Amino acid sequence: MAAPLGRGRRYITLLLLLCGFGVVLFRLATLQVLQAAELTVKADRQHQKTVSLEGVRGTIVDRHGKMLAMNLEVPSVFGVPTALDSPAKTARSLSPVLHVRADELERKLRQDRGFVWLARKLDPEQGRRLERMPMEGIGIVLEGRRFYPKGPLLSHVLGFAGMDGEGLEGIERRYESHLHGEKRVTVLQRDALGRTVFPKKMSNEQSPAPGHQLVLTIDEVIQYIVEKELEEAVARAEAKSGTMIVLDPSTGALLASAVSPRFDPNAVSALRPDRWRNRALTDAYEPGSTMKAVLAAAAIEERVMKPDTLVFGEQGRMAIGNTMIHDHEKLGWLSFAQVIQKSSNVGAAKAGMALGEQRFYRYLQSFGFGERTEIDLPGEAAGLLKHPREWGGRTLASISMGQEIGVTPMQMVSAVAAIANGGVLMRPYVVSEIRDAQGQTLKEVQPHVKRRVISPETARTVTTILEGVVTDGTGGKAAIAGFRVAGKTGTAQKIDSRTGRYSASQFVSSFVGYVPANNPRLAMIVLIDEPRGEAWGGTVAAPVFNRVGEQVLNYLGVSSDVSVKLAMASGKP
Amino acid sequence: MKILAVLIGLCLVFLFVWERVDIVRVGYQVERLKVEKSRLERERDQLQVKFSALSAPDRIAKMATEQLGMVPPQKGQVIMVQAKPAGDPQFRPTPAEVRIARNDLSDWRR
Repeated sequence: MAAPLGRGRRYITLLLLLCGFGVVLFRLATLQVLQAAELTVKADRQHQKTVSLEGVRGTIVDRHGKMLAMNLEVPSVFGVPTALDSPAKTARSLSPVLHVRADELERKLRQDRGFVWLARKLDPEQGRRLERMPMEGIGIVLEGRRFYPKGPLLSHVLGFAGMDGEGLEGIERRYESHLHGEKRVTVLQRDALGRTVFPKKMSNEQSPAPGHQLVLTIDEVIQYIVEKELEEAVARAEAKSGTMIVLDPSTGALLASAVSPRFDPNAVSALRPDRWRNRALTDAYEPGSTMKAVLAAAAIEERVMKPDTLVFGEQGRMAIGNTMIHDHEKLGWLSFAQVIQKSSNVGAAKAGMALGEQRFYRYLQSFGFGERTEIDLPGEAAGLLKHPREWGGRTLASISMGQEIGVTPMQMVSAVAAIANGGVLMRPYVVSEIRDAQGQTLKEVQPHVKRRVISPETARTVTTILEGVVTDGTGGKAAIAGFRVAGKTGTAQKIDSRTGRYSASQFVSSFVGYVPANNPRLAMIVLIDEPRGEAWGGTVAAPVFNRVGEQVLNYLGVSSDVSVKLAMASGKP
Repeated sequence: MKILAVLIGLCLVFLFVWERVDIVRVGYQVERLKVEKSRLERERDQLQVKFSALSAPDRIAKMATEQLGMVPPQKGQVIMVQAKPAGDPQFRPTPAEVRIARNDLSDWRR
């Protein structure tokens, strides 16, 4: 009797076990097969936190491959408030390493959150110190930080990138689409209690494509010479600021561009935006007598003037309408070449009137005034060139001597570079090549001819006149021993913002020209804004042209125009 | 025969296990090397930044003038000329040029 009963119990037990296993198997199948995808996503969401970090930004180098801007992987520190036993103690330990106040760190660490940034993009040395002091609830991830190893050199052209790696100014902004790398993602892990959050590993999770490399037309050494001489000139003249540009007139390639005072793009957060504005492009000014170089080109091209055409200087005073035009000295009969060399306003006004409004306006447009030069940098101003129908009774005379017209330094040097280039206006450019991360060329920029503005003959004639400015005129201090220099001085009164009239004490002193005049290698403009004391362009700006020109020609190995007889050794003893 | 079959079977099992273990070992090695590569690349970049900063013209000029007592060449001290050897009528000047310091030049002028 016992056997059937025992067998029955065994069957029941077996049945119950089978049912039990069946339920477990069913649940297992539901979780692992039917709901697998949905639950995996849910689990990942609970256990992982994805942090998006900017990609590796491309480098910027000068024409000889010298590094001007590059990214470094530097540590960023985060905290996990829920995993901390003593936020106050942790904050006190971290404060001297992160250079952040302890109470500020403690406030962050007391937040009811699973992840909080404590300090981003630290110096590599800070990262090494942090690695030596491991703390529960504190972690490190690597992020790209932009470094400008040359400090302030070329800062106004390079611009800078922001905390999240996006270009905010200068080349960094203009070429953002090329420079920025692919976004990358770092996955941080939480434990089962949701307490700790740490990266899976310190290295990159993925290998996204880095940004492209930009090769500039800038020469680091020329840039240094320009910045040094400009800084010294601004300091010497106790001026408000200074600007200098060096172009290769035959191509339009920008060799150097400086604004004084400079700034360090590695530390821009404490600076006001006007410190990083590239005044060479953004600020229009009344050019004063440097405009007479363009006037001369137009007048000679239109044959209304020849270098030897006689012009009466009216003893330095001439009435136009209700106003009076003055010269800096009493001048009688002058040749047109002397009008330019002695920078006679009366003579220039007469040449302008001989040219006429429409023709002069056409040449001003043709030389690029009133339109952007289209240089590949952001923030360029078009300047101010009114249409003749808006001109007043004195405007023609005023523009002839560089008033009532607003130009940027880049426009002015481009226009004069066109004369240096045999009458052909080039588009200035600063990026010559774009390469991928492997160094393969993606794009090579070729010099771009905008248009012919004057004939080669006129360009040669104007060059001779402008050489006279340096040899016999107001620009004597721009002369470089052994080289023929062509250029024009400018001393422009600034508008007094309080009175709305021309100031008697605020000037823009400038010199624009090219060297060697017979085979130009450099076209340069120097602008000194509001120098104190003597403000003549020939006194304040021309010497900077001389000092930079001499050093740069020497650096480039340009041989002197002056022939020197040398007894060469025959090689025989 | 049976023993041989068992031995071959065991060898295959060991081979399989060894292969799996080695794959895991090499995998760890690859990971370690990747981390090392990443560290070396970071170090290379840091050195590149340091090199660029140390070779900045600003710094070189400052060291040359303040520490080494050097001065920039003064006006006329460097003259660029094109070299033309004497007694060679076939010679055509090339773009290459010669730098002559003034103290050498004064001897030649004499």
